[in-house]
Amino acid sequence: MSTADTLLKKYQLAAPPDNVLRLGKLVQGAFDTNAHEIATIIKADPAIADRVIKIATRGRDIDMDIDSAVVRIGVHQITLVVMSELLMHAVNKTFSTMLRLNLEAQEMLNPYGDQVVGCIHFKGKATGRVFLRIPCKAADWMVPRFLGKDLPMKPAELLPDVVGEVLNIVGGNFKSNLVDAGLSCSLSVPQVETKTGFAAGVEDGEVHLSIPFAAEGMGLFLDLIISPVAG
Amino acid sequence: MSKKILTVDDSKMVRMIVTSTFLPFDCVIVGAADGAEGVEVALKEKPDLIFLDITMPVLNGIETLAKIRATPEIAAIPVVMLTAESDGQRLGMADQLKVSGYIAKPFKGEQLIALTKKIIPLAPKPPEPKKP
Repeated sequence: MSTADTLLKKYQLAAPPDNVLRLGKLVQGAFDTNAHEIATIIKADPAIADRVIKIATRGRDIDMDIDSAVVRIGVHQITLVVMSELLMHAVNKTFSTMLRLNLEAQEMLNPYGDQVVGCIHFKGKATGRVFLRIPCKAADWMVPRFLGKDLPMKPAELLPDVVGEVLNIVGGNFKSNLVDAGLSCSLSVPQVETKTGFAAGVEDGEVHLSIPFAAEGMGLFLDLIISPVAG
Repeated sequence: MSKKILTVDDSKMVRMIVTSTFLPFDCVIVGAADGAEGVEVALKEKPDLIFLDITMPVLNGIETLAKIRATPEIAAIPVVMLTAESDGQRLGMADQLKVSGYIAKPFKGEQLIALTKKIIPLAPKPPEPKKP
């Protein structure tokens, strides 16, 4: 048993998701692993394999095997997909534990009017940012679920703080996963603002994945943008 | 006798959740918004237990823990890490500084109560005296 496993057991903490190991293999071999080896790594997780094929076929109904999809989209996009699964794992865990809500995956959603947008940056061997977008209308269910019914002020006034804390927890979990995968990095303090539109501001060399999901019948979005992983 | 718990977290939300979690118990919750303030409050209040976040401005949780352990008046106070960061590196550092527990965020109030009861006795809040 490794030191990390011994400590996880001592403090009764859950082991990191399997995708941490997958991400570690992927980034450690990013520059000398062939497409077939990468395909073997990601095939073990059907959700990742499915998303890789969807990106490679751009959602069109085309028959494509995972090896061809890997060649088409490349290591950078695949790293993004594996990281996004870790991020969604953290989001699901946070919503189910702290808001007692199971999220529903969505294929596509139209954003609801005004939204609270939280952003957190990570920088180091892995560099990028995460956005969490929550409609302002979600305040009425999200804030009491997070803080209880006795609120010191109106839910709408507390929503930015709640979104910031949810993102802080999600970001902390995600960062721990990256560190365990060999990608040490630092995390910024979340920045939260209320706005109507959203532009991810993807720069040259970056890749972006937007993941829609729903809770209490409302659409929410998670966006992950990453730069190429340092070799 | 009423117990005193210090929650050191830059998130007002988390401090509010910790406070409301212990409402049914005979204890007083005090808060601090960063590590440096946490050490100051610990020296002043001498809490029975400290919940400590890691990612905080001024002094992070690991630096704060090291400072607590190096300050004789508060060195023996049990500390439980309450943090979203539970990678092997952080866990190893906290373990070396002799933490009494490690709770990974997201967390449930029940986890805080269960771990606290293992470290200090927690009694239910006594009923409020009737007004004449």
